[in-house]
Order: sequence, then C-alpha cells, then structure tokens
Amino acid sequence: MRKNVFLTAIVCMCLTACFKEEPLNAECDIVQAWMHYDDTSYVWNSSDTIVNLSSVDSVITFTVKSGKDLTHLAPQFVITEGATIKPASGSEQDFSNGVVLYTVTSQDGLWHRVYKVGFVEEVRTTSDTIYYDFERVFLYNEKYYTWSDYQIMDGVEANNWATGNGGFALSRSSAKPDEYPTVPLEDGYEGKGVKLTTSDTGAFGKMMRMPIAAGNLFIGKFDTDNALKDAMKSTQFGSPFDKKPVKFTGYYKYKPGDTFKDRYGNEEKDRIDEGAIYAILYKNHDAEGNPVVLYGDNVQTSEQIVAKAIMPEVKPVDEWTEFEIEFDYYEDGIDQETLNNLGYSLTVVFSSSRDGAYFQGAIGSTLCIDKVRIICETTE
Amino acid sequence: MLLVAAITASAESILDGWEYTVRLGYNIGGTMPIGMPATIRSLNKYKLEANFALGIDVHKPLTSQWGVLSGLHLENKGMDVDATVKNYHMEMTQGGESIEGYYTGNLVTECDEWALTLPLFATFKVCDKIMLKCGPYLSYLATKSFKGYVYDGYLRKTDPTGEKTNMTNDKSVTFDFSDNMRRWQVGIDVGVDWQIGQRWGASADLQWGLNGIHKSSFTTIEQTLYPIYGTLGVIYKLK
Repeated sequence: MRKNVFLTAIVCMCLTACFKEEPLNAECDIVQAWMHYDDTSYVWNSSDTIVNLSSVDSVITFTVKSGKDLTHLAPQFVITEGATIKPASGSEQDFSNGVVLYTVTSQDGLWHRVYKVGFVEEVRTTSDTIYYDFERVFLYNEKYYTWSDYQIMDGVEANNWATGNGGFALSRSSAKPDEYPTVPLEDGYEGKGVKLTTSDTGAFGKMMRMPIAAGNLFIGKFDTDNALKDAMKSTQFGSPFDKKPVKFTGYYKYKPGDTFKDRYGNEEKDRIDEGAIYAILYKNHDAEGNPVVLYGDNVQTSEQIVAKAIMPEVKPVDEWTEFEIEFDYYEDGIDQETLNNLGYSLTVVFSSSRDGAYFQGAIGSTLCIDKVRIICETTE
Repeated sequence: MLLVAAITASAESILDGWEYTVRLGYNIGGTMPIGMPATIRSLNKYKLEANFALGIDVHKPLTSQWGVLSGLHLENKGMDVDATVKNYHMEMTQGGESIEGYYTGNLVTECDEWALTLPLFATFKVCDKIMLKCGPYLSYLATKSFKGYVYDGYLRKTDPTGEKTNMTNDKSVTFDFSDNMRRWQVGIDVGVDWQIGQRWGASADLQWGLNGIHKSSFTTIEQTLYPIYGTLGVIYKLK
C-alpha cells in the first residue's frame, strides 16, 4: 500500500516533468542576403555583395554599377532554420522592372514574412552641395518618425537618416509619436526641422541601466535588435560618399536640461549638458579589405577616420543660429580613386546630449536643427 | 447532575486518545504547470531552497484503523530554476509600460512561498507502525515572491515575426510577479507516517496544489503554475 502511494507520487512527478517534443520554428526571417556576380564589374568591392538584415528590415537592396543587365540575377538568402522561401534562394529572377517579392514561411507553417528585393544602380553625387532639409518625414508603424531624403527606387525609401527612436520604443511602448526623442519640428528654420530631446526611458530604461535616451539623428543605421544588448553597436554611422566634403553648415537652437545625471541616475551638480553636432568622413574598408562601419564608441576616434568637422561647443541659444564647420583632414588626406570607388563613408551626427551614447545627460535638453549642408570640393 | 456527569464523561472520551506529533520536514519540488508545455525545452539548473517545514499535528483515532488529523505547519515552498524556453509567451511590466511577446532563451525563476498550512486529513492505519494520510490543506502565504531574469535569449515583439530584441546577459532584464500571487492556496496531501521507534518516526508526503499560485486575472504566463512538492521528514510523538 505504501509502495503504491510512492509509485503514484513518482508517476505524477514524472508526467509533470516530462518534456514534450520541440515545437517547430515559428520565425521566418531572412537574416542575410548575398549575390555572386560572375561578372565582377557589377560592383566596386566584392564585400558589398553581402547584406545583413535586422529583424525590422523587409527591404533588401543590392547596389550595382550603372548600365548593368538586371534580368538574370540570382540572389541567395540565409533564412531561419527550417523555414522555406519562394522564389527559391539562388533562383534567377528578372530585377529590371523593380523589386521582386520573396515570401518566407516558418517551419511550423503558421507565419510568413514578405520581403522586397531590388537592385539599385549607384547614384553619383552630381551637385557640389548636398542639401538636408528634413522635409521628407515618415511615421513608422504608427509609432515613431523616420527621415528619408529620397527614394532609391520606386516605393523604396533610402532611409538615409537614422535615429534611436526604435530603441526608445522598447522601453516606452506606450509613448505617442510626438513623445519620442527625435521628432519633426513644424516651424523649422525653413519648412520643417528636427527636434531632438533627451528623454526619460521610464522604469524599463532604469532597470536596464539606460535611464535616458538622447534625441539623435545621424546618417547611418540604427540596429534595434541589439539596442539593449550592445547599445554602442546599435548606432552604425555613415553611408558611402563620393565627393570630398570641405564644409558642414546648418542652423540650430540648443537648450540644456536642468539636471545632469550619470548613467546610474546620480546628479552631477555643476555639469551642464551639451549637444553634439559633427560630421565624419572615414574609409569604409580596412587594410585587409573588410568592410568597416563606425559605432557609438569609435565614431570620433577610429583610425579609419580621414576628416572631421566637429562643432567644438554647442552653446545654448534660443534663436536659430547658423553654424559653419570646416572639415579638418588628417595628414594623409584623401585618395581620389578610393573616393570614386565609394571607399569612403560620410556620417552627419546630431545629439541633444553629447554623452547620450553613455546614457549621461540632462532630461529635457533640446537641440533643434534645420537646413544642413555638406559643401564639397568643386569638381569640373 | 447526571447530565453534567454525562457531558463530562463524553468530553473526557472525546479528549481521550488524542495524539500529538511534532514534525520537521524538507520540501522538494517546484511550482510548475501541470503537463509541461512544449515551449519549455529543458531545465538547466535546479537549486534547492530553504524549504523547511516545521509543524505540530493532532491526531484522533476514531476506530482502530480510521482517524482524523489536523495541525499547523510553517513551511516554505521555494525554488530556483534555470530553464531554456522556445517561443515562450511572456510580458514584462514596469511602471505602466509593458513588453509583450515570444521569448526564446534562458529564463531564471526564483520563487519563495513561506506559508502557514492547516491540514485536514483522514488517516488509516495499515498496521501498528504505518499510517496513511490523505486530505485537503489550506495555506496562507506570509511571504510571497516570484521573480527572475532572462539571459542569452531574445524576444520577438507581439508575434514571431515582430521586432527582435536581443537580451543582455547581465541579469538586468528582470521580472517580478510577486504582487500577482494569491495569499491563499489549497491543495491535496497524500502521505504516510512510519513510526520507527516509540516516539521517533519518518514521514513522506506529496502536496499537490489545486489552485495556481497566481491570481486568475494574471495571464502573463500562459500556463497556470501549481505548487507541487514532496516532503520528507522526521516525526516525534509527544503523546
């Protein structure tokens, strides 16, 4: 009898503890896409044929030199384990009429994602002055604002500007679009401008020791996938640039917030927050030919940098104030061939708190910017 | 006068034959779903907690075999488990904000439930030394805690195609569902007391919780978690 009780107990425990068979994968992502060109004249760098995707990306574009035949190209994809993709990875498609849609279906068959894949002819900068007026602003998923200066092809935005808004969305999911750190400013210097505000990331931010989010706007990409795990690596600065920039100009207003706090929330009494306005030109491949991107922790210090235009001090000003910063080139200067081959990347960075990447600053610090220009050396 | 005598006599007979037992035990088990969901893949670590149980029981034999038992136990049903989960639905809330989605990775849960438990058992003596017990118990939780953290994993927001957030490994992404726990727990106990010597003995019990540890309004964790513990102990007969 006693034995039976024990047996019952043991059987019950076992039933409870038993693990069921592993469920099939529910995800259906393309994590990487790449192209193999038999004709190597399609691209400048063979490393440019790989596109790594983050979870929010649903558009894949390969950049090729102009005048190439796009009718028989076979991009290949790395997708979630067990998932299937249609049309098949490595199958030849005609990209001459724009994007081709690929559908990835999860292993369990319950979920799918549709990706747009396109081939874009590289655009050469024709003007000596690049205009950034921040008039083309979009609302992403009804959540937060994004900026894109142009379309690289029909229906595909360049999304050349990035912000940390996607990171803020993780901690303050209930925030309205206008409560995000980087928002459009209706009355800019001319037309719309951009307002960057150092914001409180709330209880989640505090828990993850990221108590503030500086308002930021930069040329590059923000990787939300790793915003928590490695915030420094989530800001990926720069995109290829084919001119020699000499001057960086624009208009700004700045007001520091009241109380400067370090990342642990400790007040630093005598410290006044400062904004950041700078532009960096860097070599986008290292000596071994590997692609290089600058991150939050080396955007101003990397050895890849060839020129900097950094505003020494973003002083508090209530009125729109013009700034003009010369690019300061390193001794080696710039190599014309590398420039032609899109071997340099340019980033332009604005932040309402200079040390925002280290989660230091004053909540409420506000930087407004508009009518930004990159003036390049005249080429005849 | 006769009536009083009769009442006294019957009172004496009621009080007669009560047995008092002190018991000291240790609870081994966990707070778990009944039937492991497929989303829980493996248990990586299970740490024993200070799950002591100290109690006093009164037992009243009614016949030569049957009797009733009650008492009061102070006990802890705690656990500290590290599990690997896949597409495990969860929601973390902090200061009015929430992150909800499907988590894949490691999940550490620490649970503490210090309780005062009132058992009400029927007893059956198989022989002189062995007594089976079975019946409900009621527990009042004096301390309730259910919290933990995630590491080495990622969350897909809303559904498996949603935004992916890779989690930090520094234990900074935490959850705390202590406030969503019930104060009262009921369950069924099946056990056996084995009288070894004149006063000393051993006991084994299985306590199976019948209501989940969280309030029914709490839906963050998909499965209802029940406290299921085995108790091994020593007993000492006072009288």
